[in-house]
Amino acid sequence: MYKRQAIKDVGRETSMFFARCIVALFIVFILMVVLISRQFKLQVLDYQKYQTQSENNRISIQSVAPVRGLIYDRDGKLLAQNRSIFTLEITPEQTRDLPKLVQELRNVLTISDEQVLKFLEQIKFRPKFNSYVLKSNLTEEEVAKFSVVQHMYPGASLEARLERYYPYKGDLVHVLGRMGAINVEELEAMDEETRLRYAATSKIGKLGLERYYESILHGEVGSQRVETDVRGRIIRVLERDEPVAGMDIHLHLDLGLQRKATELMKEVGARGAIVAIEPATGGVLAMVSQPGYDPNLFTGGISGEEYRKLLTPERPLYNRAVQGTYSPASTIKPHLAWLGLKEGVITPETKIRDPGWFSLPNNDRRYRDWKRWGHAPYMDVVDSIIESCDTFFYDLAVRIGIDRIHEGMLQFGFGQKTGIDMEEEKIGILPSREWKRTARKEPWYNGDTVNIGIGQGYWTVTPLQLANATAVIANDGIRYQLQLVRKFVEGNIHEQNVPVMAYHQIEIGDGRWLDLVKESMRDVVTGAKGTARTAFQGAEYIAAGKTGTAQVKSLGEEEEYDAETLAEKFHDNALFIGYAPYENPKIAIAVVMENAGGGGSNAAPIARKLMDYYLIEQYLIEQHQESEQTTETEVVNNGSAQ
Amino acid sequence: MALLSSTANSHKERYSLLWRWHIDAPLLLGIIALMCFSLLAVYSAGGESIGLVKRQAVRFAAGLVVMFVLAQFEPRTFRQWAPALYAVGVLFLIAVLLFGETSKGAQRWIDIGIRFQPSEIMKLAVPLMVAWYFAEKALPPTFLQTVGSLVLVFTPVVLIMLQPDLGTSLLIGASGLFVVFFAGIRWRYILGAILLAGVLIPIMWFFVMHDYQKGRVLTFLNPERDPLGAGYHIIQSQIAIGSGGIYGKGWLNGTQSQLEFLPERHTDFIFAVIGEEFGLVGIVLLLALYAFVIVRGIYISLQGQETFSRLLGAALILTFFIYIFVNIGMVSGLLPVVGLPLPLISYGGTSIVTLMAAFGILMSIQTHRRLHST
Repeated sequence: MYKRQAIKDVGRETSMFFARCIVALFIVFILMVVLISRQFKLQVLDYQKYQTQSENNRISIQSVAPVRGLIYDRDGKLLAQNRSIFTLEITPEQTRDLPKLVQELRNVLTISDEQVLKFLEQIKFRPKFNSYVLKSNLTEEEVAKFSVVQHMYPGASLEARLERYYPYKGDLVHVLGRMGAINVEELEAMDEETRLRYAATSKIGKLGLERYYESILHGEVGSQRVETDVRGRIIRVLERDEPVAGMDIHLHLDLGLQRKATELMKEVGARGAIVAIEPATGGVLAMVSQPGYDPNLFTGGISGEEYRKLLTPERPLYNRAVQGTYSPASTIKPHLAWLGLKEGVITPETKIRDPGWFSLPNNDRRYRDWKRWGHAPYMDVVDSIIESCDTFFYDLAVRIGIDRIHEGMLQFGFGQKTGIDMEEEKIGILPSREWKRTARKEPWYNGDTVNIGIGQGYWTVTPLQLANATAVIANDGIRYQLQLVRKFVEGNIHEQNVPVMAYHQIEIGDGRWLDLVKESMRDVVTGAKGTARTAFQGAEYIAAGKTGTAQVKSLGEEEEYDAETLAEKFHDNALFIGYAPYENPKIAIAVVMENAGGGGSNAAPIARKLMDYYLIEQYLIEQHQESEQTTETEVVNNGSAQ
Repeated sequence: MALLSSTANSHKERYSLLWRWHIDAPLLLGIIALMCFSLLAVYSAGGESIGLVKRQAVRFAAGLVVMFVLAQFEPRTFRQWAPALYAVGVLFLIAVLLFGETSKGAQRWIDIGIRFQPSEIMKLAVPLMVAWYFAEKALPPTFLQTVGSLVLVFTPVVLIMLQPDLGTSLLIGASGLFVVFFAGIRWRYILGAILLAGVLIPIMWFFVMHDYQKGRVLTFLNPERDPLGAGYHIIQSQIAIGSGGIYGKGWLNGTQSQLEFLPERHTDFIFAVIGEEFGLVGIVLLLALYAFVIVRGIYISLQGQETFSRLLGAALILTFFIYIFVNIGMVSGLLPVVGLPLPLISYGGTSIVTLMAAFGILMSIQTHRRLHST
C-alpha cells in the first residue's frame, strides 16, 4: 500500500483547533441553556405544583382520637375507665410493602395469624394515612425489644393508647357490655359524618351501655397538622384541633349491691339473673346475669381459643337479665289476682273448692296443683296468693279470659320493652288469641288459658319485666321507664339528668284491691303459711314478695345443652319477686335461677340477703369504710389517645 | 488557600509566585469556589453532620495536593506516561473481569493492597492515550488514523461495559471521542457516527443492556411508572428542585432533604438539595462557576503549544462539562438515572482525586508553556 507521510501544518492545525474549541464552547453554551431552562421550568413555571407536592410530602393531617367517657355508679365509683397501654401499629400509607413488613415484624415479636387477619380486615376499607393496631397490650419487654429496632421498619410504630378497662371485670359485664375493634359491617353502617368522627378510633361499644351510649361516650375527633419525615415520624406538630372527650355517664346502679348479687349467685353456682330497681324512679340498682365473663378480654381483641372457652353450655355471653325469657310461674299470681278483683270476676270473699286439681267443664283433663291433695277444701284469693294455690288461679284465669288477661298484663309492662337503655332487650311472649294465630297458626284453646293462670304455658317474661312488674305493685300502680343511666356529665362541668319517666298509671279502679294484693304479698313473707316465710325469718324490715317455681317443659330455641347436663335441665327454675320496705318501698327485686328448684327455698333467700344489704348492711359498711378511707381505683383521664 | 493568604501584598507578585509554583490562579479560584459551595451543600444534605464536611474537606485537600504535584510535571512527561498508563489500565480492566469483586451485581473493584476501580484510571488514561496517538500526526487525521484512534477508545469502553457499568463506559468513551473531535475528525464522520448510533441504540436495548438499566431508562421516560421504586428518586428530586423556586427555601431549610424524602442527597442527588435550598439563583450561580472553569480550561488549551497538550486539555475540560451535564440532567429529570456524582460538589472519594488530577494536568499545560517551546 502506498503510504504518504503527511507534513504537520502547524498554522492550519491551530486554526482548526480554534474552530473546534469554538464549536465545543457553543455546544457547552447550548447545553447550559438547556439545563437552565429545565430548572426554570421546574422552579418558576411549575413552582406551584412542586411546592404543593413538597408540602404534601412534609405535612400530613392526622386525626386524634377523643378520650372515651367514663362510667360511674350512683355513688361515683368508677366502673369503666381508660388505661394506658402500648400498641404496635402500622400506617399503611408509610409502608412500601405491607405484607413483607408484617412478616418481618413477626420475626421480632410474637404476633399470631389471628392478629394479622384482624389487622388486615381492619385496614380494608379505612383511610391509609391512619395507623392501625397490629398487636396491643405489649409487655414492657416487648416495648423495649421493638424500640431498639423500630427504625428498621418504616410505617410501624409503638403507640401509647388509652384503652377501656373494667376494674370489676365480669361483675358488670352484662350492664356495661364490652368494646371491640370496629368491623366491616359497623363501618359500612356508618354515614360519612360518623366515619369522620371515627377516623382515629379503633374500638367501638359492642354490647350493653357501651353500645347503647356509643355516640355519647365516644366524643368528638380532633386533628393535628404535623410535619413528618420520610418514615412518617412526627417532627413537630404545627397545628392542633383538640378532640372533645366523650361525656361521662353516671348510673342508678349500686356497685355494692351489684357485686353482692353476683357473689350470691356465684356462691350457689347458679345460672340466672337478678334485677333490682328503685321503685320511685325506675332506676336499675343491680342487674346481674350469671355466669358472666371478663369483658377486658375483648377490648384488645380476643383470641379464637379464649373465645371458644366462653362457648360453654352455661353460656356466659348470654345476658339473661334482658335477653332471657322465662315462664314467670307463680310470681304473676298477685297481678292476676288484682286483675280478677278489678274486673269483678271475683271478690275478696270468693272461695273455690280445691281438691288438688282443676278441670275445665266437659273435659277430663286435670290441671294439678303443686300440692297434690289441695291446700284446703275452699280457698280465697288472699290465701291462694300466700300459699300459692294453683287450683284457684287455674279457675281465676278461665274466669277472666285470655283477652282481659292480655290487656291487664300489658299494663304491668309484660309483652313489651321496659324501655331500659339496652339494645339487646327482648320482650318475651305475653300470649293472646292473635299472637297464637300468627305465631302458631292455631286458635286459642281454653286449656291454654288455664296454664296462663299459674304463669306457665306460652307466657314468658324477662327478669327485667318481672322486676318492673313488681315495682308497679310497690308503686301503687305507677310504671316507670327502666333506666340504667341517671345523668350525663360533660367535662366535669355540665350535668344533664335523664328524666324519670312515668310510662303509665294503671287503671287501679278500687284502690282496696291493690292494697289487698300487697297485703297478701306481705303475708307470703311474714305469714305463718307464706311460701317465703323461712327466707325472711327475722328480717329487720317488712318485705312483700311472691315465690315462683317454674316447670321447665321446653327449652328456648337458642338453647342447647350437653348430654351431661340433660338431666339437670329438667329441674325447675326458681323465681322470686319482692320489694321492701313494705310501707315505703326502696327496692324491688326479681330473682330467676335456672334449674335451681323451688323458688321459696332457693330464690327467696337471695332476695332477702340483697334487701338486707341494700336497706341495712351497706350503711354499716360505709360507716366502717369512712374511718378507713381507701381509694378504689385510679382514673386515667388526662391527655388524649394518640 | 494557605497559599493565597501567605503571599505578598502586590497582585503582580502573588500572580508570579503562583506562576512559579505552576498554579493557574483563575482556575484555582474557580475550583476553590466550587469546593466551598460543596462543603455548604454537604453540610446541609448530610443532616448537618460536621463529620461529613470534615471528611469531604480532607478529600478536597488530598485532591489539591494531587493537582499541585501533577502541575509540577511538564506536559511532555504525561505524554511519555500515557501508553504505559493506558496499558496498565487495560490490564486491570481485564483482571477485574476475571478476578474482580462483585458489588451490586457488577464487577468494578479490584484489590491490590487498596481496593479501587480501574475504570477510574481510564478516565484519564483514555484521553491521554488518544492525545498521545495524535500528537505527532498531521491533523486532521486520515480515515485509517481515525479508525486507529477509535480502537484505542473502544477497547476500554467495551471492557468496562462488560463489568457491566454502562454509564462510566459511555463517559470514558466520550472523553476519548472528544480528543478525536478536537483532532479535527471530519464532520461527515461525525454525522455518520450519529446515524450509526441511531441504529446501535435499539440493538443495545435488546442485546446488551441489563434489566436494571432498561428499568432506569423506562422510569426516566415515565417516572410515574414506579413512584415508590425507581421513579421515586426522580420524582422526589424534581419536587425538591421545583419547590425551591427562584430564591430557595434557605440553607438547611430544604424540607425534601432535611426530612429525608430525597434519596442519595449528599452524593449523586446533591444538586437537588442546592436547587431546593438556594433556588434558581443558587443554580445559576453554580452553573456560572462551572462555566468559568470550563471557559478557563478551553482558554488554557488554546494557549497550549503542543498538539498533545491542546487535545488533552480541551478533551479533559469537555469531559468535566459532560459529567456536570449528565448529573444535572439526571437529577432534574432530563436524563435517565445513572450513578454519577456532580463534579467537585458531590460527597465522594476517588472521583475527586481523578478530577483534581485532570486539573493538575491543565495547570501543567498552562504554566509550562514558556519554559518549553517547540
